[in-house]
Amino acid sequence: MNNALKIALAEPSAIIRTGLVSILKHLPGFHFQLIEIASTEQLPDTLRTNKPDILIVNPAIPGSFSLETIKEESGCREMKCIALIYQSFDLSLLRQYDEQISIFDSADELRHKIERLDHTSVRKEQEGTEDQQMLSAREKDIVIGVVKGMTNRAIADALFISTHTVITHRRNIARKLQIHSASGLTIYAIVNKLVELSDIQQ
Amino acid sequence: MYKVGDYHETDRMSDLISENYPMALVTSRFGIALGFADKSIGEVCRQNEVDVNTFLTVVNFLANEKPIPVSDEKLRSSISLEGLIQYLHNAHDYFLNFRLPHIRRKLLEAVSDCQEDVVFVIRKFFDEYAEEVRKHMTYEEKTVFPYVRSLLKGEKDPKYNISIFSKRHDQIEMKITELKNILIKYYPGKSSNMLNSVLFDIFTTEEDLATHNKVEDYLFVPAILALEKQ
Repeated sequence: MNNALKIALAEPSAIIRTGLVSILKHLPGFHFQLIEIASTEQLPDTLRTNKPDILIVNPAIPGSFSLETIKEESGCREMKCIALIYQSFDLSLLRQYDEQISIFDSADELRHKIERLDHTSVRKEQEGTEDQQMLSAREKDIVIGVVKGMTNRAIADALFISTHTVITHRRNIARKLQIHSASGLTIYAIVNKLVELSDIQQ
Repeated sequence: MYKVGDYHETDRMSDLISENYPMALVTSRFGIALGFADKSIGEVCRQNEVDVNTFLTVVNFLANEKPIPVSDEKLRSSISLEGLIQYLHNAHDYFLNFRLPHIRRKLLEAVSDCQEDVVFVIRKFFDEYAEEVRKHMTYEEKTVFPYVRSLLKGEKDPKYNISIFSKRHDQIEMKITELKNILIKYYPGKSSNMLNSVLFDIFTTEEDLATHNKVEDYLFVPAILALEKQ
């Protein structure tokens, strides 16, 4: 499961793209979810919706773009970028990439490069799953406040924290529980006995 | 899972449904009943006084799940907007008066052995959700459809246009997705056949609502944009 990496592949040539997809699909020990992107126009939207772990991109893909802006705009700050090279390139252009692959790389070389990149991101993912579901004591306090119908301001005052902190907590709670609405949190709070029915029926 | 590709007037209606079972919802929303024997899509549509092009546009749009490759103008001239409104209206009627009440009944039966407070909050969640869906659809029925009908008669409304609608058109399936997640992750009661059954209903309704919204966003709205420009 650790190896179910999401890789987006931005390469205008269908022949090269399909070839790379086919090699990646057959790499032993990996299971990738591959997303193919044929043109620069599709790049930001596809990244935004798919949030890949790794982007393999031909730096010569028509249309100008900067990796920094793309990461920023698509909300994929953590995404690793690999340059797919089939000609010589100005080194300063390649400096923004985390790795480079050449179209003459062997399947083995490809595997090593992806493994190396993946090392850091996979570890982060595992940490991510551990803290899922387990709400901290402070987060539980926030849930109770929300469920009782308190405003962010009122919760902040009651807990002696800033509203900004309350908002950050709420965002983390939504991410951990996959519950975004107040009425959804109410079900969570009742099921987990954080509140009693009488607390919420005013 | 389903056959992907374009359907034509000459294909058999029964093949369409067998290859792609959610299409049974589409036929019934066009007012077409089952029991097609070996009749073609074209024949069945004409018999039921349904515009064949409009029917095929919706079917192929849903079967391929990709954006319509034609311009707004071409889309506008190839479909019957009145037919599409009737289709959307029947879908609303289905969700509000059949699907959601049906899920509510089953859900309450499924959770009936849970503690009273859990039943209470689940019912409250569902009722609030159903109310949101009702508001969303009532707006379309009371505001958008009458607007389009007068537009078709050549009457322009200086105070309204369809982009007002597309801006406020939200994804109504989001919250039922949340209910699904809550049941899957936090349901405190015992496992039961009824609970699974209602879970499956929620899955299909979630998908059905999402495609319903897609028809509105990618067929209905573009066709009206073209109509407004005329």
